[in-house]
Amino acid sequence: MELSETDRKILQRLQTNLPLTHRPFLDLAKELGLEEDLIIEKVKSMIENKYVRRIAPIINTQAVGNSATLAAMQVSEDKIEEVSQIINGYSGVSHNYLRKGRNCDIPLNIWFTMSAPSKEQLDDNIKEIEERTGLKVRMLPTTKKFKIGVKFKIA
Amino acid sequence: MTEDDLDIKLIKHIQDGIPLTKTPYEDIANDLGISEKEVTDRLKDLLENGKIRRLAASIAHRKIGINSNAMTVWKVPGEKVDECGEIMASFEEVTHCYERPTFPGWEYNVFTMIHGYTDEECENVIERIKQRTGLSDYVMLYSEREFKKVGVRI
Repeated sequence: MELSETDRKILQRLQTNLPLTHRPFLDLAKELGLEEDLIIEKVKSMIENKYVRRIAPIINTQAVGNSATLAAMQVSEDKIEEVSQIINGYSGVSHNYLRKGRNCDIPLNIWFTMSAPSKEQLDDNIKEIEERTGLKVRMLPTTKKFKIGVKFKIA
Repeated sequence: MTEDDLDIKLIKHIQDGIPLTKTPYEDIANDLGISEKEVTDRLKDLLENGKIRRLAASIAHRKIGINSNAMTVWKVPGEKVDECGEIMASFEEVTHCYERPTFPGWEYNVFTMIHGYTDEECENVIERIKQRTGLSDYVMLYSEREFKKVGVRI
């Protein structure tokens, strides 16, 4: 599925709040100069084709009472598969990436975010990862937030 | 049911996706046995108090070609953190900007997540940040593999 100009226009708008009205897709359509049926059809198609994961509330994990942290580990090449799978196994892990320093060599190569219902549980999970992998986990929680706002330039 | 309980019930019901119908909130209300107004009122409150950041699409940006993801970490002198953080946050391409702790061997205290269609695009943003902040000690940590990426759920 190739993204048309209309698709991009719709995707761009879908990144911000859906109207909380009786017919939100109709109101969206009016904003974009399109038809309600087309919008709904396009949204379904974009989900089917995996351009959109879901239209849903984006939850602020800390605001709902959870403790969260960014964490990093230094993992040798031969252990990357195993360690990444161990980390993935925690339902509180939402992001887990292999990263590499581009302009400088950085030994910390596995970076993940984890949240848990309490600070104690978060610390316990991290400790458990350390025990299971035999490796140190560096916790880098937010000390100050300047921005969180995912919005891409699609159209 | 308390307001909190209702909020939890509501979020759990739609966190994997709202109904894709002409009247999604009415349909949600019917599923939960409450009124449409209660659904939209609760959502309005949750957005206002920040428990929900947005009610919107979660876009698979890599599928769209936004494949370049540079987590760029900066060494910022303590007294300049606030000023630099604000400058970095003002860039559209910076989706996240946080101050984080340092430890021996790790002195980078401000993290910016930058997305772009190309590495060049990301690096253009980094150049502009450097110019505006006067910072020069930074590392670009590009993502090489995605092991897991899921949304926050309750």
